[in-house]
Amino acid sequence: MTTFSPQTQTSSPSPSPKSSLLPLYGMMAEFETPAQIMEAAKKVNAAGYRFWDCHVPFPVHGLDKAMGIKRTILPLLVFGAGMTGTIVGFCLQAFTNAASFSIWALVWVTGYPFLISGKPLMSVPAWIPIIFELTILLSALSAVGLMFLMNGLPRLSHPLLSNIRFRRATDDRFFIVIESRDPKFLRSKTEAFMKTLGAKHIEVVEDR
Amino acid sequence: MSASITAVADLSDRSIMGDDRLVRTSRVAYVVAVISLIAAAFVAWKQNDPHGLAMIWLQNGIFVLTLSLGAFFFVMVQHITNAGWAVAIRRIAEAQAANLTWIWVLFLVPMFWLLITNREWNGFGHGLAIIWPWADMAHLTEHSPAEGAIVAQKTAFLNPTFFMIRACVYFAFWALATRWFLSTSRRQDQTGDATLSTKMRYAAAPCLILFALTSTFAAVDWIMSLSPAWFSTMFGIYFFAGTCAGGFSIIAIGCLRLQAMGYLRGVITAEHYQDIGKMIWAFGIVFWAYIAFSQYMLIWYGNLPEETVWFLARQVGDWAWVSVALIVGHFFIPFLFFISRWMKRWRGTLAFGALWMLAFSWIDIYWLVMPVVPHDVATFTTYDALAAAYATTSTGLGNPLNYLMLVGFIGLSIGSATGRLSRGSVLCRRDPRLNESLQFENI
Repeated sequence: MTTFSPQTQTSSPSPSPKSSLLPLYGMMAEFETPAQIMEAAKKVNAAGYRFWDCHVPFPVHGLDKAMGIKRTILPLLVFGAGMTGTIVGFCLQAFTNAASFSIWALVWVTGYPFLISGKPLMSVPAWIPIIFELTILLSALSAVGLMFLMNGLPRLSHPLLSNIRFRRATDDRFFIVIESRDPKFLRSKTEAFMKTLGAKHIEVVEDR
Repeated sequence: MSASITAVADLSDRSIMGDDRLVRTSRVAYVVAVISLIAAAFVAWKQNDPHGLAMIWLQNGIFVLTLSLGAFFFVMVQHITNAGWAVAIRRIAEAQAANLTWIWVLFLVPMFWLLITNREWNGFGHGLAIIWPWADMAHLTEHSPAEGAIVAQKTAFLNPTFFMIRACVYFAFWALATRWFLSTSRRQDQTGDATLSTKMRYAAAPCLILFALTSTFAAVDWIMSLSPAWFSTMFGIYFFAGTCAGGFSIIAIGCLRLQAMGYLRGVITAEHYQDIGKMIWAFGIVFWAYIAFSQYMLIWYGNLPEETVWFLARQVGDWAWVSVALIVGHFFIPFLFFISRWMKRWRGTLAFGALWMLAFSWIDIYWLVMPVVPHDVATFTTYDALAAAYATTSTGLGNPLNYLMLVGFIGLSIGSATGRLSRGSVLCRRDPRLNESLQFENI
């Protein structure tokens, strides 16, 4: 299905005059097996690059470790959000059921005390479903929302998506892309470094 | 495929075949069990309280039963989901589950003995009525007429004959099924026949249905019918959640012990421990609390006297402390303790958490079995009056007989399971998914 342009089929980067006018996004190396990209990822990590990523068609176990990626702090944030839900759920009901709050709220307020089946106004068992639901709601929303935020999503386009070779990242090829914003990035040096990784193909990615 | 596997699994005989080390453990467990059962017999003879002895026997019997039922559920659930990760630890669960081939002795023998002798137990009625009040309807009706009137309508189900038939059916299914799962898995060790895995997967589906039915009815028969007028439709699932807490914890401890003894080196890794920990956390802690609260809230809100008396018996006197301890110790503390992945991956913390859960599943069973609904509960006009009258109710937790029986039954259970493991491979070594399990990693 994918048709390659003559330019992308060359095995070494030979940017056309037109493309050289475009800003550089980074350098891309293509691999054929997970084992190859695993080895290469270890080398890139050891070389001290920071703004780089692997793109693989399926989860490759152990790749995170090979890339030296630290564990995300997302679980901690979700725990915090969940605890917020717990506290909000409790306070909401304590406040609305209260006959008076003169001491803790520092003002004289009344909620809407309403006797239900002869239970005390402060009946914690009856509140637990609400507390539970709010905990789950805030945890789930924050997990999804923060995941998007921390990944820089959603975004409308990405320079890699206009690269024709890169389409095989969803099929049968494994890519390492080192971005040009990396402090260690130098086009000639990075290209020379990438050649030592044993990639099938190396190419410049433009920021279209 | 993955190049990051650093720990190399040791598949030598020393690492995966049962040998003297397990035989020795088994013998030690049996010796400890026999000593403490002899001590228990002496204490029971000194105390001369047949009812107390029967209840303690039942409670500890149900505790060791839940450990094996939880392991049995674990085995079936791994088969039915075709789970690759659990292959490295499945044999330990199978050996633990196979205790169900003899646990019937702890139940059926005393039950038949009570039935045959049919003695009058002072204050409790005849035969099985020493434990289950419905077994002697004449005595129950005379002793507490209101309860007798309710229970009289349940005698088509709750009568000694049908009760014994049901008990035999549960144990027959458990014994045959666990034996079959262990022996089929062992046959695969010899032949390497991959179709046996498929066979076990197909068998797991009907067995899980039968497991759900038998464990629910067993919980109703042996625990819920201790207060025969009371009922809860969530009781079976509550019991099941409890079995998961105990059963998965004993699997974790079994894996840790075997590795400490030099077995399964590099076979069971932090990845497997994390997943066992997740299962303890999900089923034994969170699901248990969810079910326990759902059962409590419906009864608390409905506020019908024939339903609330069961919880009433568990919040008068010292029982209130046990109830609070369960909420805190079976849910809040382990929930926060096990929530982080590292607590499940580090051996020390996993061992501590699993032992903690074992202790609290014992307390959970104790809380289910031991409290007695005050027979004169209907004569009080307010809760406070009843709470004051029963303020000194004791839990009996100070009775050494509890712990002697516990050590005795647990000793038999461990001795039997380790003895079983010593007679073959401690790893499902020719399961087609073994490689997947060895390379397993949590993402």
